Amino acid sequence: MSDILIRADNVSKVFHSHKEDVEAIHDFSLTVKKGEIVCIVGASGCGKSTFLNMVAGFIQPSSGRILLEGQEITKVEPRCGMIFQNYALFPWMTVIENITFGPRLKGVQKKVRHEQAKQWIKRVGLKGFDYSYPGELSGGMQQRVALTRALANEPDVLLCDEPFGALDAMTRQAMQQELLRLMYKSNQTILFITHSIDEALILSDRVVIMSARPGRVKAVFENDLPRPRKLELQLTDRYLELKRKVWSLVEEEVVSALGIRKG
Amino acid sequence: MDSKKLGLWHSAIVGSAGFIFFVGLWEVVVRLGFIDPFFLPAPSQVMERALAMTTGKDAVLLNDIRMSGTRVLTGFLLSAVVGVPLGLIMGTSRLVRAFLNPIVSIIRPLPALSWIPLSMLWLGIDEQQKYAIVFMGCFASVLVYTIDATLKVDPLLILAARNLGAKRLHTLRFIVLPGALPNILSGLKVVLAIAWTCVISAEMVGANSGLGFRIWTAKEWSDTGQVLVGMLCISLTVLVLDIIYRVIEKVLLPWKRMS
Repeated sequence: MSDILIRADNVSKVFHSHKEDVEAIHDFSLTVKKGEIVCIVGASGCGKSTFLNMVAGFIQPSSGRILLEGQEITKVEPRCGMIFQNYALFPWMTVIENITFGPRLKGVQKKVRHEQAKQWIKRVGLKGFDYSYPGELSGGMQQRVALTRALANEPDVLLCDEPFGALDAMTRQAMQQELLRLMYKSNQTILFITHSIDEALILSDRVVIMSARPGRVKAVFENDLPRPRKLELQLTDRYLELKRKVWSLVEEEVVSALGIRKG
Repeated sequence: MDSKKLGLWHSAIVGSAGFIFFVGLWEVVVRLGFIDPFFLPAPSQVMERALAMTTGKDAVLLNDIRMSGTRVLTGFLLSAVVGVPLGLIMGTSRLVRAFLNPIVSIIRPLPALSWIPLSMLWLGIDEQQKYAIVFMGCFASVLVYTIDATLKVDPLLILAARNLGAKRLHTLRFIVLPGALPNILSGLKVVLAIAWTCVISAEMVGANSGLGFRIWTAKEWSDTGQVLVGMLCISLTVLVLDIIYRVIEKVLLPWKRMS
């Protein structure tokens, strides 16, 4: 088959409430190739989380369809591993129990899954916290556990719903570097949602810019910044040029989402 | 840590001082004749009565505590064993909840006392009747507390579990049950107090042992000292159960320990 992993065809989603119907996403199409890191950028309320929730199978499109390797996603799909903004770690499980949760359900032997988990714990720098509970960890550490928990389940695609949004600016940059380090040459497909242009430029192979609600694809462009990407990259001319380009596209949408008229 | 320990000692000392003060005041007031011991015997007299009830040929007190304690715990545990699983199912399945809700709503407002006539008709005044009274007094509350606790579990955690491959039963066992457990346990603590009310009432109406029976017969013989001994025993037993309960909570909820 082709190297296309996810394919969204003319997806729309309407939410019905007792007051009115709200269209969150309209006629949204997108393909994600295997091993590609795609960042979706958009103003808040543009429906980007809605789209991600549909890829995960948490909700179904009102029209159109989303395919994973040619098969339509109709229910919660464990092959699309999700990382939530609020970590969503299980508070009653230790770090290692959280990480081994997916493999455990799959029937991987305890010894095997614990060994794998210990490898991950070492790689993300959480050694010594194996038997801590999430409540004892800082936000950045919790998000590393969440990331590890998703990766240990070996998903076909990693879905990231503004995972670093709740972190302070410095921890956030450190986590972006962490993700790049872990994913470098791993060929893991990632669909990443953010409202930060910097985050999108640092992480992605391709950037998709969404319009204000109802969300549509406003622009797509290849991000050809060289890898590996370090923080210094943000000072280069090419980076600034791309950032300017993205911002000019996003600005209109932010302004329209806020309902401000440009002076 | 140290200042916390000091604070604990501090409140323990102040607490004991308060206890001694009030008991002393009570003793003095009765001894000086301000209160007729028939209405309120002095602490020393109550202790004397308690001693007589625990030693010698009239040593019934320990047996009473044992009888009442067994009745409370049996009825309470039965209601928990049936109520918690059913509550979890009702909490997670809208269909089951809708099906059973009318029955629960009818049973729930009934005080345990109102079950006494029926339970005596059906079960006599055996131990089973006491268990039944406690069970009926507790069951609906266990159910409602468990359903509430289940509905309060963060839906995001359920989504996260399903995203990691959890099926319905997995979700129930690994997410809903542990997630609801803290609220279930604090609900059960309230129910345990209800269970005591049930058992004391049941023993006052038809029994020949137990603290409720002892208090009631003492009243018939105008033995105020024995009434007070019975009441004190209820307090003490509840206090001891409370301490045990707290230990169980700590064991069952290790992730809550650090907060």
